[in-house]
Amino acid sequence: MVLIELVNVKKRVGNEEILKGIDLKVHKGEFLAVVGASGSGKSSLLYIMGLLDFPTEGRVFFKGQQVSSMDPQVVSKIRNESVGFVFQFHYLLPEFNLLENVMIPMLKKGIPKRQAEERARELLKSLGLDGKEKRKIYQVSGGEMQRTAIARALANNPEVILADEPTGNLDSKNTQMVMQILEDINRSGTTVVMVTHELNLAKRADRIVQMKDGLLVL
Amino acid sequence: MNHTLFIAYKLLLERKRQTLVSVTGVAIGVCALIAMSSLMFGFQNYFIQQVIDLEAHISIKPKEYEEEDRIVKKAKQDAIWEVYGNKPKEKDKIVGWRDIIKEVQKREDIAGVAVHLVARGILKYGVKEKPVTLIGIDPDMEPKASVINRFLENKRLEKLKTNKDALIVGKLVAKDLGIKDTGKKVILSLANGRTALLRVEDFFNSGITNIDNSRVYMHIKTLQALTDRSDEVNEIVIKVKDVNKAQKIALDLQKNLRYDVESWQRAYINFLQIFKIQNLITYMIVFAILTVSAFGIFNIIMMTVLEKKKDIAILMAMGYSRKDILFMFLAQGLAIGFLGAILGFLLGYALQEYLSSVKLDVEGLIRTKGFILDRRPIYYLYAFIFSMFFSFFASFYPSYRASRLNPVDIFRSG
Repeated sequence: MVLIELVNVKKRVGNEEILKGIDLKVHKGEFLAVVGASGSGKSSLLYIMGLLDFPTEGRVFFKGQQVSSMDPQVVSKIRNESVGFVFQFHYLLPEFNLLENVMIPMLKKGIPKRQAEERARELLKSLGLDGKEKRKIYQVSGGEMQRTAIARALANNPEVILADEPTGNLDSKNTQMVMQILEDINRSGTTVVMVTHELNLAKRADRIVQMKDGLLVL
Repeated sequence: MNHTLFIAYKLLLERKRQTLVSVTGVAIGVCALIAMSSLMFGFQNYFIQQVIDLEAHISIKPKEYEEEDRIVKKAKQDAIWEVYGNKPKEKDKIVGWRDIIKEVQKREDIAGVAVHLVARGILKYGVKEKPVTLIGIDPDMEPKASVINRFLENKRLEKLKTNKDALIVGKLVAKDLGIKDTGKKVILSLANGRTALLRVEDFFNSGITNIDNSRVYMHIKTLQALTDRSDEVNEIVIKVKDVNKAQKIALDLQKNLRYDVESWQRAYINFLQIFKIQNLITYMIVFAILTVSAFGIFNIIMMTVLEKKKDIAILMAMGYSRKDILFMFLAQGLAIGFLGAILGFLLGYALQEYLSSVKLDVEGLIRTKGFILDRRPIYYLYAFIFSMFFSFFASFYPSYRASRLNPVDIFRSG
C-alpha cells in the first residue's frame, strides 16, 4: 500500500528550483533512506512528504488523498496524528521538561493529560530515559535530547516517521543507538523515511534513493 | 484549546520579569481608571445631586426683552434711522402665576410646584455687610419643589411660618458676616431704600459654594411687603418626577408660556460642559497610561515570537495549526491583561479606601470634608473591558505574525 506519493513535484524558492520534478512512492511499512549531498533537495523533499511544505508544481498524495485539495486544518491534523518528525537538532521546547515535551503532540490530539503523561512515560522508558522525565533539556545529554525528540515523534503512534539527518549531531555511540531505535520503530510497522548524507547509515534502510541537484537519480 | 493554553502559560512563566512589568503597567492603567473615575464622577454626581435636590428642576422666569421694535415703530417710515442704545428690559413679575401653577400641576410628570420672589439686598451685621440674593418662599409650598429642609442645619423651615421676621442664611453668608449662632438680629437693606430688622433662624448649607455664599431665604409675604410687591412672584419652581426628562418637559411647557422656561440642565450648562471636558481629560490620561502598557504587552509578545520562531516551527510540525499559534500568543496577551486588571482592581480598591479616609477641607465649587467618591462597581467593569481591549489589540499583531511564520523557512535557516 502506498502511503505517500509524489507526482512530478517541483519546488521553487525564489528564483531557484530546488526540486525539479520528483516522482516517488513511499510504501507503508518500509524504511526508505534518501541520500545526497548537501543542497541536493533532500530536506525539502522530506518537508513536502510530511505536509509541512507544499510543492510549487506537481501533486502529493497521502494515503491516496491529494493534499492540495485538503483544508489546512485537516493537513495539520494529519501532521499531528500520522506524521512524526525527527530533526538533526532536537528542537525540544526549553520551557518544558522531557515528559511535557513528549506530551505536547498528544495534548494537541485531544488525549487527556493523565493518559498522555502515562504514554509519554512509557515512551521515554522504552528509549532508556527512565527517571529523567522531569529534567529540563539543559540537564540531559545530546543523545538523550535526540531520543526524547524521537519519543515525541512517536507520541501519537504515527504512520510515518520522517527523520532529517537524525544522527547528524551525535557521536558514534548515540548514532548507533538512534539508528537502532529507528530500525525498531520500523520493525513495529511504522514507515520510516530518513534523510542522510552518510551512505553507511542509509544502507541499513530497505530502500535507498539518491538525490542530486533536485532530482532523484537512483 | 487546553493544549495551547498549557503552552501559552509556560511561555509566559518563562519570562517572569517582563511579564510582571507588563502586568504592572496594565494594573497602573486599571487602577488609574478606577480611582480617577470614582473621584471625578463622585465629585460631579455630588454636585449634580445637590443641584437637583436644591434647585428647581425647571424654573419659569420673566423674560428679558429688548425694545428696539418699539423704538423703530415710533420712527417715521421713510426716515433713515439707527438705534444707538437699547437697554434690555425685564418685567420682573409673572402675571397670572396661579393659573400657570394650575396648568403645570395637571401634568403627570410633575412632582411639585412652588413660587419664589427673588430680590437683591444687603445684609448687615454689626459693621459687616454683604450683598445677598433674597429668595421669598412659601414654607408650605417649597418642600414640594425642593428638599430645602435637608440642607438646613437646624431643620427650622417651619419658623418662617410662625415668625415673619425669620431668615434662613447661607452658611458662607453667615460666615462672612460673622454670625455663628441662630437668633442673631441682622439689618436688611433693599433697593427701594427700606430696611428691616430680621432674625436669623437657621443656616443653609448645601455644600455648593456659590449658593451658600449668596442666598438668604425668607417668607415670601415678608419680602413682598418689604419690596412693595404685594402678591407678586417672579419665579415658579417645578420639581419633576424624572430629573433626566426636565429639559424635554421644559421645552414642552415653553410652547404655551410667554415666560422663560429653563431646565436645570440649561441653567447649569456651563458646569455640565466643564464636567464633560474633565471627563474627556481623565479618559485621555487613562488612555495614555493604557497605551503605554499596551506597548509593553506588544513588546513582550513580539520578543517571544522572535525568540521562539523555532519552537513555533516545531509546534507546526507537530500538527499545531496557524489558528492554534495565533490563539497561543493572543492568550498570553490576554492573560497579561487579565492579571493586570485583577492587580489593578486591588490597587484601585486600596486607593479608593485611602482617598475616602483622607480628611481635608475641600473648598472650591463644592465644599466637603474629604474626597467624594463614586464607588460603583461599574468602573471596575469598564476598567476590565478597557484592559482586555488594549491587551487584545497589543497582542494581536505579534500573534498574527507568529501564526504566519513558515516553519520550513525557519528549519532551513538552521
